[in-house]
Amino acid sequence: MLVLTLLCCALIASSAEAPQKAFPYPYAQDDFPNGLRLITIPTDYPNVVALYIVVQTGSRNEVEPGKSGFAHLFEHMMFRGTKAFPPAKYEAALKAAGASSNAYTTDDHTAYHTTFSKEDLETVLRMEADRFQNLEYSPDVFRTEALAVLGEYNKNSANPVSKLYEVLRDTAFDRHTYKHTTMGFLKDIQDMPNQYEYSRQFFDRYYRPEYTTIIVCGDVKPEPVRALVEKHWGGWKRGSYRAGVPPEPAPRGPRTNRVEWASATLPWVVVGFRGPAYSDTEKDQVTLDLISFLGFSPSSDLYQKLVIQEQKVDALEAENPDHVDPYLFTVWSRVKKESEVAAVRDDILATLNGFREKPVDARRLDEVKRHLRYSFALGMNNSQAIAAMVARFVALRRTPETINRVYELYERITPADIQAIARKYFGDGGRTIVTLAGGKSK
Amino acid sequence: MKRLLALLLFAAGLAPAEPRVVALPGRSPLVTFRIVFLTGAASDPAGKEGAAALTAAMLAQGGTRELAYKQILDAVFPMAASVSAQTDKEMIAFSATTHVDNLEAFYKLFRAMLLDPGWRKDDLDRLRDDAVNFLRVSLRGNNDEELGKEVLYGELYAGRPYAHHNAGVVSALQKLAMADLQQFYRQQFTQANLVLGIAGGYPEEFVARMKRDFAKLPAGKRAAVKLPAPRPVGGIQVTMVEKDTRSVAYSLGFPIAVKRGHPDYPALLVAQSCLGQHRSSGGRLFDRMRQVRGLNYGDYAYIEYFPRGMFQFEPDPNLARRQQIFQIWIRPVEPPTAHFALRLALYELDRLVTKGLTPEEFERTRAFLTKYANLLTSTKSAELGYALDSQYYGIPEYGSYLKSSLARLKLEDVNRAIRKHLRTGDLRIVVIARNCEELRKKLLGNDPSSMTYNSPKPEEVLAEDKIVERWKIDLKPEAVRIVPVEKVFE
Repeated sequence: MLVLTLLCCALIASSAEAPQKAFPYPYAQDDFPNGLRLITIPTDYPNVVALYIVVQTGSRNEVEPGKSGFAHLFEHMMFRGTKAFPPAKYEAALKAAGASSNAYTTDDHTAYHTTFSKEDLETVLRMEADRFQNLEYSPDVFRTEALAVLGEYNKNSANPVSKLYEVLRDTAFDRHTYKHTTMGFLKDIQDMPNQYEYSRQFFDRYYRPEYTTIIVCGDVKPEPVRALVEKHWGGWKRGSYRAGVPPEPAPRGPRTNRVEWASATLPWVVVGFRGPAYSDTEKDQVTLDLISFLGFSPSSDLYQKLVIQEQKVDALEAENPDHVDPYLFTVWSRVKKESEVAAVRDDILATLNGFREKPVDARRLDEVKRHLRYSFALGMNNSQAIAAMVARFVALRRTPETINRVYELYERITPADIQAIARKYFGDGGRTIVTLAGGKSK
Repeated sequence: MKRLLALLLFAAGLAPAEPRVVALPGRSPLVTFRIVFLTGAASDPAGKEGAAALTAAMLAQGGTRELAYKQILDAVFPMAASVSAQTDKEMIAFSATTHVDNLEAFYKLFRAMLLDPGWRKDDLDRLRDDAVNFLRVSLRGNNDEELGKEVLYGELYAGRPYAHHNAGVVSALQKLAMADLQQFYRQQFTQANLVLGIAGGYPEEFVARMKRDFAKLPAGKRAAVKLPAPRPVGGIQVTMVEKDTRSVAYSLGFPIAVKRGHPDYPALLVAQSCLGQHRSSGGRLFDRMRQVRGLNYGDYAYIEYFPRGMFQFEPDPNLARRQQIFQIWIRPVEPPTAHFALRLALYELDRLVTKGLTPEEFERTRAFLTKYANLLTSTKSAELGYALDSQYYGIPEYGSYLKSSLARLKLEDVNRAIRKHLRTGDLRIVVIARNCEELRKKLLGNDPSSMTYNSPKPEEVLAEDKIVERWKIDLKPEAVRIVPVEKVFE
């Protein structure tokens, strides 16, 4: 079998003259003929290996009505076994490897991750290959697992932030599947036990090599890993399905909504604007990242005013997550008194408007860039953390190289860029504001 | 007078005892600190519950004498560093990580935060609000699972120094004055209580410098708070927290005499892992309650305090305690299955206590824990944290302690430890639910709680259900108490 290999960073890492890349680890990137990609990242953390298998499907792919939450349900089903490894045997093998294993689903991807001792690499790769190719579960097992998903909804349901996310997306989007959360609408979750056939279709569509990237990070060498992946995953058949995710029409805002929370809690206000998709070539998304820190991090003027000086709010944070398709830039705040909600909302809007009106201080912008560089470096403190971080980027562009491109892009952003991007995105048309009011007073 | 004595000792060539240090040098470009004081919420004076946590917060999230908090935030922001404080019953840990590029600048700030706090009123107002909102809103209002766990601790340790939540009690927090915190700082943040922890790529002479700097703290005297044994539970006791919520959350357990270093710790760890390894699908509870019956999202067991378990897979270090409890955590269930779910958890506990582990379960769990120990210390910060805890418990490095004691362990040791330390008839159950009165009646009536499923179940499961649905919970009316959620932590 012909495997295309790209060895990255190794030369750069050994060259004193080359600039330090944001992602400092040499890695090997292998493309298999069936569309599967393997990224092997040797680190100097001993004994442990972190395996992340990233499938580029998430709640974004839930295009049919009534099927919200399905990508996440499917993540659960992946633990329901195969002929060769029924759940008890799979579990026993993981136990024998001392493994920590789990999975998560997002809007755009689903990731299966296992951390274990290096001597168990082949066992784990073989078992994972088996379940990705030969997953088998009965309608009865499916119906039981759907209840565990309802249990997950239940454990989240005490937190008003879960509800705020639901309402925010439902308000901000009309057609795109980002309209629903990854967890899905309660009515769809309650109907999941009846959707066995659809679950098989979902597996057939998306659990295919061309959607999948394997990340092996830790006490490993690329050559033997490549051979093991070829041995166990090389026979996996390519698929042909492409989801027709409906594009979101141009914004027609502003929009508002309000959540009434039954039990006692503090009010929240969320100010959102329709934003761009992830890009490692265009400036829009990285510039909004910088704005999120300039305007709302603990060292921002607004944090000083609302959290430290006036003490009107006990949480203030901007969120600008990377997405395959255009998503939302949001600012979240938990307010101490209901009567202050409007004032806090107006302060947030005024801060955002400030970026439109005048360029930011260049020195301050440099501080944010430094923060991002160090924050990134501090996060890579073990093999599992490195693999987890790479997985987020691999879900978007299938290569760690996109990390270096994005961090180079941050460096190029100027105060004029900040102003231009703020003008482009912070107009009334793209705005959605959602507030949440607590029930009985404390 | 004390100072004079210290000088005299020094003059006589008897240097005062140096602060204890745990140092793990390495080649990493990161430097991690864990500065631990062997004091905590158990040392909160009566009526001043929350003093330890609020004092720690004033240091980690307040200004220094020289710099206002905002100036500190501005200074550490470009370094992407931050200081966090974790207050437990008998440990307060300040942790931080910096890139070695910024070590000098960061350490100066960190040192000033711990040794030269600013005691500003606006910091106290903000942090007091944070503490009260944490208890009332984040915990009581928005997190039924953690609420259940914390109420269980509160009930089991009622009338004891471990009783109140680490963050304090709302009415006491509202009255705490700056002088209370300053007094706590003077009395408890002493060299006698101090352990300096550092790991990573720091320069060789750095440890000596830290020792010199922290010698500025008063010498103090190591005097751990008196800790009487918790009161016996006295049969099965139930605390129901009435709250407007969608589902029913449970935590149940009882105090145990076992902690790290106890001869039965490895055996009980194996038993706990087999019954319900945290967030793993391999435990019996998870398998029987979630996998087979779809009752909820997961069910686990513990022999050590493990807060924030819904957000993380591995426990945080520096929660070392002299007293621990055994605990079962049942994640929220749908109200119609709540009675059955509780019975099933008690049935599984009973099965563990009466029948123990099978040889196969023993071997599998022991093998798992032997390797899993590597994962617990996979970051420098965790490795440092575990090393500090090992010093507290007087055991060797945790991984080697665990591996060597597991290697010697036999199935009989585990089953003997289970019979000795675990039980079913003498425990406290905490329930977070709406309509507690209805559930109370069901529990007291011991009515059958038959299950209906959305899919056929194997005969073996249906036969087991016949036993579980009538599982007797020996409960007296006076042993069930309903508490409105508004009263909790007040």
